[in-house]
Amino acid sequence: MQVPCGRCGSRPFTEFTFGGEWRELDAPDPESDFARVYLPENPEGPQRERWFHVMGCRTWSTVLRDTRTNRIERDTRTNRIERDTRTNEMG
Amino acid sequence: MHVADGDTVAAALYRAGVRTFSRSVKYHRRRGLYCGTGDCPNCLMTVDGQPAVRTCVAAGRDGMSVTRSGGWPSADRDLLHVTESLHRVMPVGFYYKTFIRPRFAWPIAERVIRRATGLGKLPPTREAARKVVRHEHVDVLVIGAGAAGLGAARDSVTSSARSVIVCDEGRVGAGVAPGAPLDRIRELEAEVRADGSVIVLEDHVAIGVYDGLHVPLASELELVHVYPERVVVATGASQTHAVFPGNDLPGVMLGRAAAALAGVHRVRPGDRAVMAVGNEEGLDHLDTLLAVGVSIVALVVPAALADRVPDGVGEVVVDGHVHEARGRAAVREVVLGRRGRGKRFACDLLVLSLGLAPRDGLARMALADEPVTLAGDAARGVDEEPLARDGTVCLCEDVSVHDLEQAWREGYRGAEILKRYTTTTMGPCQGAMCGRALSCFAAARGGSVHAGSSAATAPRTTARPPARPVTLETLAAGVHEIVDKRTSLHELHVAAGARLDRSGGWLRPFTYGDWREEYRAVRERVSIMDVGTLGKFTIGGPDASALVGRVFPCRTDDLTPGRTRYVLTLDEAGYVMDDGLLARVGDLEWYLTSTSGGAGRTDARLRNFADRFALDVHVLDRTSQWGAINVAGPHARDLLEQLTDDDVGTDAMPFPGFADITVAGIACRAIRTGFVGELAFELHHPRSRGPALWRALAEAGRRWNLVPHGLDALELLRLEKGHLYLGQDTMPDDTPTKLGMAWAVDTSKPWFVGKLALERMEARSLPRRHVGLEFTGCPAHAAGLRGEPLLAGGDVVGRVTSAERSIALDRAIGLGWVRSVGDGFPTRFTVGSGAIATVVPTPFYDAGGARMRG
Repeated sequence: MQVPCGRCGSRPFTEFTFGGEWRELDAPDPESDFARVYLPENPEGPQRERWFHVMGCRTWSTVLRDTRTNRIERDTRTNRIERDTRTNEMG
Repeated sequence: MHVADGDTVAAALYRAGVRTFSRSVKYHRRRGLYCGTGDCPNCLMTVDGQPAVRTCVAAGRDGMSVTRSGGWPSADRDLLHVTESLHRVMPVGFYYKTFIRPRFAWPIAERVIRRATGLGKLPPTREAARKVVRHEHVDVLVIGAGAAGLGAARDSVTSSARSVIVCDEGRVGAGVAPGAPLDRIRELEAEVRADGSVIVLEDHVAIGVYDGLHVPLASELELVHVYPERVVVATGASQTHAVFPGNDLPGVMLGRAAAALAGVHRVRPGDRAVMAVGNEEGLDHLDTLLAVGVSIVALVVPAALADRVPDGVGEVVVDGHVHEARGRAAVREVVLGRRGRGKRFACDLLVLSLGLAPRDGLARMALADEPVTLAGDAARGVDEEPLARDGTVCLCEDVSVHDLEQAWREGYRGAEILKRYTTTTMGPCQGAMCGRALSCFAAARGGSVHAGSSAATAPRTTARPPARPVTLETLAAGVHEIVDKRTSLHELHVAAGARLDRSGGWLRPFTYGDWREEYRAVRERVSIMDVGTLGKFTIGGPDASALVGRVFPCRTDDLTPGRTRYVLTLDEAGYVMDDGLLARVGDLEWYLTSTSGGAGRTDARLRNFADRFALDVHVLDRTSQWGAINVAGPHARDLLEQLTDDDVGTDAMPFPGFADITVAGIACRAIRTGFVGELAFELHHPRSRGPALWRALAEAGRRWNLVPHGLDALELLRLEKGHLYLGQDTMPDDTPTKLGMAWAVDTSKPWFVGKLALERMEARSLPRRHVGLEFTGCPAHAAGLRGEPLLAGGDVVGRVTSAERSIALDRAIGLGWVRSVGDGFPTRFTVGSGAIATVVPTPFYDAGGARMRG
């Protein structure tokens, strides 16, 4: 399986650390925080998740991985490097 | 033995008269050369110490050492062959049902079974090959370099692909007899090799098709990970495996094996042969055998091909079938059947060219929507395979039709579950021979197809990697040694005679000889310790303060430059992951240390939150860039003053704080620390200057009789202070409150990682807490109590996590955790063999901390 890294492009998944399912950073109260931490969606299909390029550039990437097929693509909505790039282009 | 040019190992052996190539794994039946194309398990032998080599496709060389696997004392004279007559008492499922009771019998039985089974022995003394790993990203990978594969490779480059790999598990054209097909392969090969964008990898076996797409190719020297955009599987077809009584006798051979012996290697496979032909290819094999002078005593042929049978063939049986093969050590006679009547023919060879079955296993491993296609014979349909009344279905695992019937009667009714129960298709050939026969059997018995119908419609069992047997050397490719990280002071530790061992991924000194003397140096004089393994990070940028404020649970905004604070690291569930020291360097810059083992996690975590919060922060991991030496003891300041002009007094460097100073001409960040409980300065410095700094400190410390200390002394030094070792004293679900460290959390902060989780857990009663322990009535050396359960009223209510006899207090002390019982926590326990443990407050030593504040 190849993971699309924002800096390095597609690299073997063995270079990465799996960061789990993407989740919100905060919750409105302690009980919904429990659900946020412990009750992942675990979908059968596309899952938004975090990967850390630990044996490479050490940046985090958010990807969409289909849990049925392991087909994987970069999630453009939640990737910081791409946001930075856009900012640079605009400014 | 003579090895002719181009010989396979099996061909050379056959020429030399070898007929029994192996013994079957369960009943130790003789097995001869059968498929000749690398598909079946019969010719697996140990070649030059490597077990399970497919000798029918492995190139032979003079001087090779070849031994037969299986059989005791040898495959030729196998005393274990008697197991066949025990067939009735060794039915399928034998292992699941037998040797279970009485339990003591299994270790004895296992020893016998280990000798009786298996495919040869691993050579324990052989040097492991150091296989290289490389990665290839290409547009197209073609597996199989026959006419179809080479054609697909050529067509790919002429259309769209810029890069193509075409691989084959043998040499291009190997095993193909001279003639038009070989000429065509040579022509295509020349064309493909002339194109610069095609790589031809010979002797590379495709292990499997993994999602992604990813195909590992293994050769004797390397492992190539190929990441293609699409895959063409052109692995051809194997000849159908025929099932009838006696079908596994030596001398029963598939047509391609016989034709290769005769046509390629010029070895006559037998004198008198019976042959069964089902397709045109079979007629070619017939010609090849006649050409080398094999006498064909009988021929089974379908009506459609009957008029093309050449002259010189004995009896022709139109639309007949092979009923049975008979013989002891090899086939002696064959019974051919036609319309319920049989006729016997004496012979020494039975050649079967009944039909073809595509080798589509690799393609079936791919997910439905992945760009993996079949080409050539691998894409063809399956020829009919009639269901047999008996005979060996699975050559690898010695499973007969009889065994499948029995499993069916026991309720294993489906191809997948029959496979698991009988282990059919689970041997080295991975179902290449028997997969269709199994599916066909299950489909026929299950009524989804009627008996004797085509195997093409029977659902197949799942195809999984590996497609071919994989050696441990291949799996370990690229991994040649365990890498231990070393600090810059490693050579000095070795020279000082330190006992080094692994700790947190590093090789670290545990003691330099006498750890008690090292301990006393810290408590009474001065000592140094290599702490370069600590995680070390610079966090800088406009949002650096925002990041540290959010990721640590303590207050950080009141830290002024030059001050430090002990920090816990919590995960999002509120559990303690790590601890360290956070130092404020300036308005936009912080310096952080973590535990040695936690450095990697700390780095990932800081970067994750910086990314998620979109903070303008740079995290610089200085763990291997900087070394660190802890100077500890009552004379630590006196020692530093010998080597620096900077002010290291309490006013300039209060506890807890740090200063950037110059020691022995080396720029250091000196951090006041309290882990060992004495006056201490951690000197963080550029790694390359480590040895010079260590030597200068050791030299200047001689007047205080300085000796360095290692991890053994540190264990007691920190225990006397009640300091926890995270991971040793803690559990994965410890909150700061459970550890008695609620003081390290500022609940008035609006937000930090894990805050809501802590609020949720704090609302409940505390289930467990960490305590300091004092032991009485235990052995002089209390370390043995570590890991012992704490008992109260006969119940296990806790556990000892650290224990040692304190030198400073001359008492046995320790740390541990205790469960709540009723409304409170027990405070007195029995532990080990008769010792009493009592809960006492920590620190055990210098409770007020005057010594470390120095």
